[in-house]
Amino acid sequence: MPTKIKEELPYVKADMSFKSWREKYGSSHKWRNIRWAVLLFINVLFFLSFLLDLSLLEGSLSGSRMFGFYLMDPFNTLQLLVISVYTGHWVHLTMNFVIGGGTIFIFYFLMGGRTFCSWVCPYHFLAEWGERLHNYLVKKKKIKEHTYNRYLRYVFWVGFLLLAFFTKNLVFEDINPIGIISRVTIYGPGLILLWVLFLISFEILYSKRFWCRYVCPVGATWSMVGNVSPFGVKFELDNCAHCRDCQSVCLVPHELWFVEKGKATERRHDVGSDCTRCGLCIDVCPGEALSYTIKGWDRIL
Amino acid sequence: MEHFDLSRRKFLKSSTIAIGAMAAVGAGVGYLQKLTTEKRINQKFLRPPGAIPEKDFIYACIKCGLCIQICPVDALKFAGIKEGLAYGTPYVDVREQACDLSCDSIQCVETCPTAALYFVPFKNAGEKAITEYDQTHKIDENYNPFTVQISAMKTEVKMGEAKVNENTCLAALGKGFKGTPRGDQFKGINRSPKGNSPKATPIKDKYYDRKICNLCVTECPIGESAIVLYKQIGINGEEKFLPKVLDDCVGCGVCVMVCPTREPSIIIEPINS
Repeated sequence: MPTKIKEELPYVKADMSFKSWREKYGSSHKWRNIRWAVLLFINVLFFLSFLLDLSLLEGSLSGSRMFGFYLMDPFNTLQLLVISVYTGHWVHLTMNFVIGGGTIFIFYFLMGGRTFCSWVCPYHFLAEWGERLHNYLVKKKKIKEHTYNRYLRYVFWVGFLLLAFFTKNLVFEDINPIGIISRVTIYGPGLILLWVLFLISFEILYSKRFWCRYVCPVGATWSMVGNVSPFGVKFELDNCAHCRDCQSVCLVPHELWFVEKGKATERRHDVGSDCTRCGLCIDVCPGEALSYTIKGWDRIL
Repeated sequence: MEHFDLSRRKFLKSSTIAIGAMAAVGAGVGYLQKLTTEKRINQKFLRPPGAIPEKDFIYACIKCGLCIQICPVDALKFAGIKEGLAYGTPYVDVREQACDLSCDSIQCVETCPTAALYFVPFKNAGEKAITEYDQTHKIDENYNPFTVQISAMKTEVKMGEAKVNENTCLAALGKGFKGTPRGDQFKGINRSPKGNSPKATPIKDKYYDRKICNLCVTECPIGESAIVLYKQIGINGEEKFLPKVLDDCVGCGVCVMVCPTREPSIIIEPINS
């Protein structure tokens, strides 16, 4: 696409200076607040279900039962399948296992894959606060930023499955901060929190969002599901002023490659599969160039 | 091109580190697994009913905690970080709260989605009992196959077997017992043999007065087919008593929970190793 001329820029159209336009429209926290409310609600529901013996949401994020309906962690499901096909345990696996594994894949296929990360995962919530601290330290020049290749996650994904296969143990579940934090919120704190503390300090002091960006195989699994998912974030070039505020708040800024001047090839782009659908970019965008969408739906309408 | 090469080299470098780290973790886990599995078996680490052998249990259990949460008497606890790789898996600490078999349908086994607690034998036993009941009973107002089914399922529970320590057992020493066995702070309850009564008296509110201590025998949810007080005549002609564990013992641990000695004089040997 050709670069926009000055008259086409949204803040010129609105007859404002860029600075006042950005201040006026770019400081919403709508989706962030909704998202945090959902995330805390789900995790508190786990806690309350155990505390008050309610049959609402039993279990933990490793595997749970919602109103009597089973849900399973996708990477646990995969690890267990890899091991049990080898040891012969798979013939004993229950129908609830099939239902739990199947449902969660269908649900997050519909909801956008990595939606789990930003809307449910309790570690993501902690890491968001860690990220703020990290950004502050970088800004004050106390620490340097370290980035890695994002495909490292797939190395870990294959690696953890191989590890499960060779050691016949759910190795990842032992170090999985999602499961750990989920159990801690339900049953109370334990020494295992030191591991989570180590991870979060590493993220604050060395590499921004290290676990979520480069390691977590649960996120990588959802990323693969998100590849074919209909729900996502869309980008409309006409409303974009190329301020790149969205990239600065995004967990996966490479997915917003088209907001840079002259990069977009279409008037409309869909954000790729690494996107967690967290909505931070939607909140921060002053021109409403980014919004939630169901792919294909708006074309039907 | 140069940029691409650089990023590729960086990726290869970090991948190598990642693979190295995971290989190290794998070797560590393999070693720790061998070590801690043996340790757990030696330590009488008691798994819930229906648990498959420990080496399979450790991968089949996804640590979701559904069994822990569904237990009506809170007999199942989740293992802490001290248990190493068993972190997050369920176990029964019978001294604190025994699995008293008072539940409605052995829910812990039924709820397990990954068959780490294997339900099929229980289900089969229950169905078999119902079929037999149907053949021998007419359908009338007393027709109640449910209790028959549940009690048949409960006979399939086999967590371990009780072992008596004759050196400290009060009965073996010829002593009686008077009072509350575990002190007035003890939280455990035994809802059996009255079965499904949720208002069962906690152990701390029960008062016993026995000439010869036989709490393990009277509190046993299985009854006479699992444990009896066995009378012996000593060399000098004096009467000696000893609790004797029989074949029907399932290792539920109620006897361990109520044993009044400081260290329990009866323990559960897990069969699951």
